[in-house]
Amino acid sequence: MKNKKENAILKAIITKNELGAIIPLAIILVVVAFGNPTFYQLKNLLDILRTASFSFYIAAPLTFLLTAGGMDLSIGSILSFGGVMYAKLIVNGVPVLPSVVLCLIAGALIGFCNGIIIVKYNQPAFIATLGTQYIISGAVLVWTGGISVSGLTAPSKIIGQYYLFDTVPIPILYAVIIGVVCYIVLAKSKWGRSLAAIGGNKETAYLAGIPVVKRRMLIYAIVGVAATFTGVIWAARFANGLPGAGDAVNMKNMAAVIIGGTSPAGGSGTVVGTAFGCILLASIANFLVFLGVPATAQQLIFGVILIAAIFIDRYRRDVLSRG
Amino acid sequence: MKEHTLEMRNVTKRFPGVIALDDVSLHVKSGEILAICGENGAGKSTLMKVLSGMYTSKEYDGEIWFDGEKLENMNVAKAREIGIEMVYQEINVFLDGSVMENLFVGNLPGKGALVNFKELKQRTKELMDEVGVNVSPTSVCRPMSSGQLQLLSIARARVKEPNIIVFDEPTTSLTDSEVKNLFKLINKMKAEGVAIIYISHKLEEIFELADRVMVIRDGHCISDRPIKETNNNMLIQEMIGREMTDMYPHDPSPATDEVVLKVEHLTVPNPTATDINIVEDISFELHRGEILGLGGLIGAGRSESLGAIYGQYTQGVTKEVYLEGKKVDIKEPDDAIKLGIGFVTEERKRNGFVWLLPIVQNITLISLRRMLPHKWLIDFKAEDKQAQVMFDRLRIKAPSMRTLAGTLSGGNQQKVVLGKWLVNNPKVLFVDEPTKGIDVGTKAEFYKILRELTQQGISIIMVSSDMPELVNMSDRILVLSSGKIQGELTGEHRTQREVMELAIK
Repeated sequence: MKNKKENAILKAIITKNELGAIIPLAIILVVVAFGNPTFYQLKNLLDILRTASFSFYIAAPLTFLLTAGGMDLSIGSILSFGGVMYAKLIVNGVPVLPSVVLCLIAGALIGFCNGIIIVKYNQPAFIATLGTQYIISGAVLVWTGGISVSGLTAPSKIIGQYYLFDTVPIPILYAVIIGVVCYIVLAKSKWGRSLAAIGGNKETAYLAGIPVVKRRMLIYAIVGVAATFTGVIWAARFANGLPGAGDAVNMKNMAAVIIGGTSPAGGSGTVVGTAFGCILLASIANFLVFLGVPATAQQLIFGVILIAAIFIDRYRRDVLSRG
Repeated sequence: MKEHTLEMRNVTKRFPGVIALDDVSLHVKSGEILAICGENGAGKSTLMKVLSGMYTSKEYDGEIWFDGEKLENMNVAKAREIGIEMVYQEINVFLDGSVMENLFVGNLPGKGALVNFKELKQRTKELMDEVGVNVSPTSVCRPMSSGQLQLLSIARARVKEPNIIVFDEPTTSLTDSEVKNLFKLINKMKAEGVAIIYISHKLEEIFELADRVMVIRDGHCISDRPIKETNNNMLIQEMIGREMTDMYPHDPSPATDEVVLKVEHLTVPNPTATDINIVEDISFELHRGEILGLGGLIGAGRSESLGAIYGQYTQGVTKEVYLEGKKVDIKEPDDAIKLGIGFVTEERKRNGFVWLLPIVQNITLISLRRMLPHKWLIDFKAEDKQAQVMFDRLRIKAPSMRTLAGTLSGGNQQKVVLGKWLVNNPKVLFVDEPTKGIDVGTKAEFYKILRELTQQGISIIMVSSDMPELVNMSDRILVLSSGKIQGELTGEHRTQREVMELAIK
């Protein structure tokens, strides 16, 4: 009987989507309190949130995409592209605001291309975006010769380096705004609801009058915009258009979304969970640095976490399907 | 062949808030056909999930015994090991694979790493002949009809040489001649000494096949007796727990002559072979408050015609549609919805509802977009209220409205699908095989609902392959065959014989 009770608790944890990220996060926060006294210093916490923010810009709209049954492996390359483009524009004397806008438009167009290949021509998203990933990465390398673009002007760096009240890094503010908007859209809006229907059953959604094709294309474009936006802020923050800025981003963002409780198979998703997923991964990275684990080995751990997350998702689906 | 016995003893399976199976026992032995019948949600599928090991022994109380030995730690692998094979109602075939790959996946004949293709083709041919499907072993499965695919999955179960085989509603997508072939095969397997469990709503089938019949209702075993000791009425009464007096409600207010929907020059290409038309230049009218039955054999183009009018199919379709006298242009489903046309499709799992969404969100799937007061945001209270009305009116059996639609029984899923259209206040409703795979009790409920709808002035086009349903529910029947409307049956001419005569023209 005791066993059954424990199972019931485990079941409750796993079927409540966001808890998959919140519980390990809570555990880490407790563990590090003993292990690393500097962890709880305000500066370190803000650092973690800033790192998480950079993931979240893409992870939030990526939540839409996964919910609608899509997938995008080209986000990392679009990020790099956005950063490089921003740096190039600034260096060539284009003012900040038009530069940002041009980068976001470029991101939308790239995402739209993904959408055309995947939605219009009905190609598998996994392979299609793997292909566009190579195309965009290749284009960025050709464009820059593999050398980072430096020499950003002082005003162009403000959007990534400014501190609110001299303490809160501005990237966190962007994440809060994006988070609130995306949360409302996915959880409270009719548009967001239709994404779950599309991800759950495209044919049913189509027969119910939902413009499935248009909507799926639009999400790919939104993800493209989010990726270039991340690239722009990244370039501004580090005063550098780095051709490899987005290299490790794909897996990390995908992991954050899935750990947060969005199903990689589509049909259900939560932006709040994604936010916690991003914070969890950033906290782990931060703690690993403190432990002296080299940044290169972090990938290994994120990989393990991603695999764990898909197992949890599978288990959740099993439990749900049995009622 | 060795004799086998299988027993399930005192199986009890609980879900939160519901007891799906309460102390159910069954036994079956080699060379015996045990039929299990019961309403949707009675617990048949749960019982079979226990037997097939989909629920492991930790998840329920009770025991499974095979050949006098208790099976510990039951799971899917263990069920396979003792030779239990399942043939499900839903077709589960790798569509882009060839026939022979589908049959022998996991059991390819040959030595070591090499496949003996000659033997593979030979045996595939034999197995497919046995189920009466004439296809080349190397052809791809996608273009095959759902009936042929179902027969293929039966042949696939044969490959494993099972000791016990479970058929769960195997005939829902089969034509009459395919059913005949299947029955021949089942009897052959019986003679070979396979123990057979046959789940079906269709009582004629049970009386034709079974040695023994067991009735399950609300998770209890109601009766278990030799087929000779029971009859149709007795079984129905046991299944629903009440006497069935009149399944088909009488319509007190006959349909009017007012034309609601007029379709002219409808031509629909064949979905699998685009160079021929499945329906060619047909025209018909739908009157207010009537149920217009569309009869015909599977493949006559009935579903395709509805889909083409609704905007589901557009490629190669030509049509002129008039709604209440006005010519309308339906380019996509949303246009049809705006005009007040609803479409309960044939395969609810494929395109009727969203598995992972709760009941409430499935019911408001269409109406939500036009639900006020806000254009963009959802008014959750209004949504709940709207869904609750349908939930109560259609008497959907579920722990709550938040239950995922996919976990419901077939009949309740179908109610959710119907509810989804009804909240949208349709003028015209297309229903395609509305009671497919649904038990008698729920069927009767559906018939009553459909009649209530016509009395409210809703006009219905119903495609049905269930002959008694077609002739008893329709005010008028159009029979489609060879791409044409072969005739219209009204009044006393609405008989199964006359429908059949036109259907085979």
